Amino acid sequence: MTTRVTLRRTLIACSALTLALVAAIVAMSLLGSEPLPARASLCAIFSAGTSPCGLSRDQYDILFQLRLPRILLAAAVGGSLATAGASYQALLRNPLAEPYLLGVSNGAAVGTMVALVFFGTLEWSRPVLAFGGALIATLAVYQLARGRAGTTPERLILAGVIVTTFLSSVIVFVTTLMDATRIRSFNFWLLGDLSGPTHTLLPIVIAISVVGTVALTLNARSLNLLMLGERDAFDLGVEVGRVRILVFVVASLLVGSSVAASGSVGYVGLVVPHLVRLSLGSDNRISIPAAALGGALFVIVADTVARTVIAPRELPVGAITALIGAPLFIYLLKRV
Amino acid sequence: MLEARDVTIKYDERVAVANVSLRLAAGEITAIIGPNGAGKSTLLRALNGQVRRSSGAVLLDGEPIEKLSRRAIGRRIAVVAQEAELRFPVTVLEFVLGGRFAWASNAGWGWETEKDLSVAGAVLRETELTDLSGRLMNELSGGERQRAVLARALATEAAHLLLDEPTANLDLSHQSTLLSLVRNRCDQHQAAALVVTHDINLAAQFADQIVLMKHGQVLDAGPPQAVLTPELLREVFEITVLVDAHPVTSAPRVTPVHGRRS
Repeated sequence: MTTRVTLRRTLIACSALTLALVAAIVAMSLLGSEPLPARASLCAIFSAGTSPCGLSRDQYDILFQLRLPRILLAAAVGGSLATAGASYQALLRNPLAEPYLLGVSNGAAVGTMVALVFFGTLEWSRPVLAFGGALIATLAVYQLARGRAGTTPERLILAGVIVTTFLSSVIVFVTTLMDATRIRSFNFWLLGDLSGPTHTLLPIVIAISVVGTVALTLNARSLNLLMLGERDAFDLGVEVGRVRILVFVVASLLVGSSVAASGSVGYVGLVVPHLVRLSLGSDNRISIPAAALGGALFVIVADTVARTVIAPRELPVGAITALIGAPLFIYLLKRV
Repeated sequence: MLEARDVTIKYDERVAVANVSLRLAAGEITAIIGPNGAGKSTLLRALNGQVRRSSGAVLLDGEPIEKLSRRAIGRRIAVVAQEAELRFPVTVLEFVLGGRFAWASNAGWGWETEKDLSVAGAVLRETELTDLSGRLMNELSGGERQRAVLARALATEAAHLLLDEPTANLDLSHQSTLLSLVRNRCDQHQAAALVVTHDINLAAQFADQIVLMKHGQVLDAGPPQAVLTPELLREVFEITVLVDAHPVTSAPRVTPVHGRRS
């Protein structure tokens, strides 16, 4: 029966994506401006770092101190942003909804900057204020986008543009409060950058991405109905207000922690859920967990491109994701 | 049983529904007719607990509706409205299974049970959509789509059906098919249906009770023969009508006499 087929498809898709993700984590850790020997590195990774397996001290440090943490961060950020995008899209009935385009990422960026300027020594203040900024931006966009006739996709995107540009001005203003030496690394971070030192943040970002994805997946059936219309969902028994608050809070947490660690990596929440729905259908019970895994995969690969294509120099990963995402946005806009 | 007692609904200072009492009886179709802005749809939405009342009560099986959870209401009241534009691809079966949401043991997660699938299969047969169950909703014609919307409402197995202009934009044959399906549900499952419609003749054919509304008030209610009189219809619609008996069904037949506004 259909349910069994869907369940089987979910399991197959998620298992395949998990395998691909593990393979990507391992493979991408070998690539970079300093290529690492494959066999020795694999041996070291699978011994969980307990044995160097013939890697030199420098190689060992590159693998475990630089590459793997960065790849894991890329996975958590990608998973978080894709999950947030997929749930915004379902809740707002809009295939174009995406944290970056809605201004939510910029809200989180302002929060992070405020934390850096005023509480620079307290690292944990960054994700907390980023969450606050993301939540405020979400609520602002939502209120702006609600017209008398409900929310149209175009109206939502316009509201996103307004919030984004407003917050960009705030960012410029806060930047002037910083000393000149930090501004350049700041601009790089704003575009989405995974190279920053994030050792304390890494476990937080990973934990939030996993918990957030599970929380949203557990509401996937409600989101399936919300995707068809708020009033329909209400009639069929969905506690619309509760689900809306849950999505806003959890998605803001996901975006906030990602931005605090890596800046605004754009379009992940647009590209990945779209590809997932295209290949697996619109059922959120499949598409949310699949988007989380797919998002992790997408950002790992994009970041590897970003750090290898002009090595030893690096591009911000946000530049790579935007190069792929912007044309897809235009394509989707034509179809909505 | 679903019942409105002295319901008044105000938007700011404008009164949309004024002191309306209404009771939906099992096995019966009640039709609400009246001009645009008479408060028909607002009343329907209030019966489902969606529109906030200024005063009065809505009772579902004797309990105030605001005391019940949305899922408890969703199992007992189904709504058929003009469906929103679909922006994501959904198959007919997935769409109809949406009607089983309120029955899930865990509302957020979980898969449909065998019972859900057999109910969905039955309503798809009832609405003659079985062959289309794998098709995308966006690929259906208007009539098929509205049938799928009704199928989803029937899949809830709710004892109360609230239909808000279910036949708008449908051709003659689809209008009749849709209301026949509602009629069957009332006859066979003792469901109670409330239909808001602009089609007086369709209401006369299918409804057991007709409620005439104007300016938020009920002007009259009762069987079609009693309510559909030229005098009352002139008062409600401000137009002269001819009322005679349908030659086949003998239900009242209403024909506007054009150019003769009263």
